[in-house]
Amino acid sequence: MTTAVATQFAPKDFKSELKPIWCPGCGDFGVLQAIYRALAAIGRPPHEIAFISGIGCSSRIPGYTTAYGFNSVHGRALPIAQGLKLARPELLVLAAGGDGDGFSIGGGHVPHAVRRNDDITYIVMDNQTYGLTKGQLSPTSAKGRHTVTSPEGSLENPVNPLLYVLAYGAPFVAQGTPADIPGLSAMIEEAIRFPGFSFVNVQSPCVTYGEEEQQIKAHKAIMKKLDDLGHDPTSRLQALDRAQSYGTELLTGVYFRDPSPPPTLGSLVRERQESLSAKAKPRERILDLFLQK
Amino acid sequence: MIRDLVIGMAGSGGDGIVSAGESLVSACASEGYHAMMTKSFGSQIRGGESSCRVRIATCPVLNPGGALDVAVALNWEDFLKFGAELPVNGDTVVLYEEKTGVAPDAIPLVGVSPAEVFAVPFGDMARKAIGNEKGKNSVVLGLIAGWFGIGRESILAGIRKKFARKGEELVQANERAFQLGVEYAQANPLKTSRLMEEPTRSGTKLLTDGNDICAAAAIFAGCEFFGGYPITPSTEIMQFFTREVWKYGGSVLQAEDEIAGIGAAVGASFGGKKAMTATSGPGMSLKSEIIGLASIAELPLVIVNVQRGGPSTGMPTKPEQADLFQAVFSAHGDVVRPVLAPTCVSDTFDVTVEAFNIAEHYQTPVIILSDQEIAQRKEVIDVIDTSAFTLVERQRPTAAEMNPYVRFRMTPSGISPISHPGMKGGNYLGAGIEHNEHGDPTASGRIHQQMNEKRIRKFDRLKRRDDLFSIEGDAEAPFALVSWGSTAGVCREALSLARAKGLRVKLLIPKLLFPVNEGLYRRFFTGVKAGLVVEQSYLGQLYRVLRMTLDVPSGVTSFCRSGANPFAPAEIVRKLQDHALSLQQREADVRQPVE
Repeated sequence: MTTAVATQFAPKDFKSELKPIWCPGCGDFGVLQAIYRALAAIGRPPHEIAFISGIGCSSRIPGYTTAYGFNSVHGRALPIAQGLKLARPELLVLAAGGDGDGFSIGGGHVPHAVRRNDDITYIVMDNQTYGLTKGQLSPTSAKGRHTVTSPEGSLENPVNPLLYVLAYGAPFVAQGTPADIPGLSAMIEEAIRFPGFSFVNVQSPCVTYGEEEQQIKAHKAIMKKLDDLGHDPTSRLQALDRAQSYGTELLTGVYFRDPSPPPTLGSLVRERQESLSAKAKPRERILDLFLQK
Repeated sequence: MIRDLVIGMAGSGGDGIVSAGESLVSACASEGYHAMMTKSFGSQIRGGESSCRVRIATCPVLNPGGALDVAVALNWEDFLKFGAELPVNGDTVVLYEEKTGVAPDAIPLVGVSPAEVFAVPFGDMARKAIGNEKGKNSVVLGLIAGWFGIGRESILAGIRKKFARKGEELVQANERAFQLGVEYAQANPLKTSRLMEEPTRSGTKLLTDGNDICAAAAIFAGCEFFGGYPITPSTEIMQFFTREVWKYGGSVLQAEDEIAGIGAAVGASFGGKKAMTATSGPGMSLKSEIIGLASIAELPLVIVNVQRGGPSTGMPTKPEQADLFQAVFSAHGDVVRPVLAPTCVSDTFDVTVEAFNIAEHYQTPVIILSDQEIAQRKEVIDVIDTSAFTLVERQRPTAAEMNPYVRFRMTPSGISPISHPGMKGGNYLGAGIEHNEHGDPTASGRIHQQMNEKRIRKFDRLKRRDDLFSIEGDAEAPFALVSWGSTAGVCREALSLARAKGLRVKLLIPKLLFPVNEGLYRRFFTGVKAGLVVEQSYLGQLYRVLRMTLDVPSGVTSFCRSGANPFAPAEIVRKLQDHALSLQQREADVRQPVE
């Protein structure tokens, strides 16, 4: 439903005047840049974009854009985004948050957002820690990791966001890193253009509480592009196989893109609305449903 | 001739007790009677006990009534489980299944000898008519038609309609069962005839319950989105939306949990659409955080809590009025949230439309406290003139206010024009985080103070709306009743009974429970010497909220008890008479000379 010419906007048109609260060197700066570029490439004006987030360092991100933003409560970006998209299907709806937001407190919402398949793009800035509360164990923290809540080392296995979301049946799953902003921005643009629920996991380093091997410098050294590995993004099985490397390798790119995307929730809703609209009594006569002759 | 008839029936889940009640109430609507039916179940889906009460009258029915005029026990074990919900007294006609083997003078009703007792072979009659015992409910209907003269043809029409889909054979079988009931009544007349007076025909009626009319009111008010999760006893609201809302270009989301349900509704409201969620106690507990979000983000939202017994799972199928504290005080922070309560099926429509108007005007979540009784009871009500209602839309920014747009602008009213995604120039950041006028996050104590002041000040006008209260009775009366929700209907009847006994009483029914209209209560309590705040909760929550906010006269006390123990009008009158006596005693004491 693009209503504007693709060249009309520059990345800076999506940059707000708010100064990010992030630590210098935070990976989220790169994610923000990539989002500005992707939105400029898409070309929808800022007022037609709604950016919904939860709580956490990364969830501050809507405020740093000129789009309509909603920095809501912890873990609930997806329900709010889905309600908004159903109410205003013409909008471009983005949801974002951290790994705690998406895979701990809000983890129950992800499979349902996936199965409903409305046209929403969900960006998780996965830094394997709770940064805003100062460095506790997060759902994607590696087993054995030492943090303030696991001083003797974590005893738990981490969540694998890619594997989860692929297994939930998402039609579009990708992973990027701010170590490669052009790659990340292209991936986000593609996710937004994809008609249906799209998920982008970004390995976005925490400079303050992250480990050395999780920083941008390390990413540059270890990242491998799926494209270069001969990966077939039309195969969910291959994607599931590649996704198993989460936590040990850094494979970036589109893991899975459904070659024949199923209808979105929004399109099914519109069909139903259109097919039933003729049966509507005028609103002011709705009580006729209860008439007793 | 009688003008008011209260029938209570109980049986096990498969006996069709509720279905018989529905046929009866629908027949009453066709005949032009006023009627109300309440259902009560155990929590089981099948095989548990179920019951219903049907009250039929020639004048409007205000509540399910007190003691039964007719008690029908298809088996005693199930009947007795309902205790106070199906009270029997010396005027009651009791019918019970003969096969229970209990002698009429040995029925297990402690401490009463009912006016008339019949051991009826319901099962045998059904077997004779249908070949199995499934038609017991049709026999019951025949008995009621025969003894009380209620619309035989209308009941038969209802039976035909109900069984039409299942084939002519079953229709005829149930007609035979009904006829056997009628014949039994003719062969065994009541000692005192109790035929119902003919209804005064007053035009077409609506037959519905509190949940359905609530959802219909929402759609009438322009609600285009519902997000929710199934929970007893509110689920029928969501079900109505799933049938109807598409026709109006809206949508409904059955969410994965209560939090997602209200989250989606907040999202739709952020998108500029009128939105609703509905739930019951446990769901309200889960939704609290997002209710707070809607308050700070100043988003209109209507939340229905169909109250049931609590805390925790409590009693899912029983009514209670114990969630007022939660409505007023839950969700953290300094917040004022409007709380409204309907008192019957018909005014659930008014209250729901009002809730949307308040939500939109004040940009706030509004809680409707319905309860299981109102929500699930069927009432025959007069047609509602929808053209008498005004619908309010949220105040959107004008072109001048968009240049530049300041979402949370400090205005004299505290209400700031609100844009929504899609409006060019209205772009802003909504947030659960404290923010300045522009919506930018802040941790400034000064701004936090100003914003709290704005968000609370904006309700000043709402607090002065006297039209959200009804005051009935003798304006100068020294005795006062205050009641809300489904209990208010009992007090309405108590008021007329008390006045008929010469007591000078008035009754205040608030539809707006919070914020408290202090001026109105003060005026109402002026000159009041004694009274009762009547409500179905152990703690007496409205009484306590009032005492927190204003000086309630010391003679006004709380008359309250836990849910599933319904009040009867007569006991409220007795309580008032006690008050009157002790007041006279006190006055006499004052006049005694001091030694």
